[in-house]
Amino acid sequence: MKLAAVCQSGLGTSFMVQMNIQNTLEAEGLNLEDFELSHMDVGSATPDAADYFFIESTLETALSNLPKEKIVLLNSIIDADETKRKLNEILDKNNILHTEEQSKG
Amino acid sequence: MLSDLLNEKTITVISGYGLSWEQAIATASKPLLDNGTIQHGYIESMINVVQREGPYINIGPQIALAHSQPDGNVNRVGMALLKTNDSIALTSQDHMINLWFVLAAIDSTSHLESIKDLTKLLTNSDNVVKLLSANSSEDIFKIIKNVN
Repeated sequence: MKLAAVCQSGLGTSFMVQMNIQNTLEAEGLNLEDFELSHMDVGSATPDAADYFFIESTLETALSNLPKEKIVLLNSIIDADETKRKLNEILDKNNILHTEEQSKG
Repeated sequence: MLSDLLNEKTITVISGYGLSWEQAIATASKPLLDNGTIQHGYIESMINVVQREGPYINIGPQIALAHSQPDGNVNRVGMALLKTNDSIALTSQDHMINLWFVLAAIDSTSHLESIKDLTKLLTNSDNVVKLLSANSSEDIFKIIKNVN
């Protein structure tokens, strides 16, 4: 599965989100080799670039070229729990087993 | 290490009363301008990005991370931090900021270790509480040094 973190410049905040994604995957007992993580600027975020795109919520309109179901909006970049919660929902939706199956149902 | 970039020389604490968000970003950046890390155009560029794209640099409650493409205005990797004791609205009252981080990057990789440390610092809410209650650049530097 390809997970991308996106920000306007692709330099700062997107990498913070990528780190939180990586930390969550590790905490959930998953093999990082099964995932392709990246961070990019909004201009590089084409529909084929990833399966899911994590982005700060005020930048949503910058990704209007992407299918809505591929976009994950984050209210706070540094809230690791929010990233974890939203990533776990994706894992559940894709039937990927992980340690904390909290969002079933 | 984060404390190589964020230290008593690049951390500023002011009241911030009456300051606009544009002035806050410029004030936060001043140490980097003075020590030759960035040129004036970089400050304008960071402000322009927010005017164009909105307050997305608001990365968490009361925290902004101003940054932009280097476009020849950055001479080396740098970071700075301004703490305003008063909250300042970043484009709107929905985005009140006290901690103004500035990131100057020269390419897409050389600043990533610093971003890693910054993420470690800010994803710990105890650290954020401490930063928000600190009253001097020395106090803030102590908190940052402890993360390394």
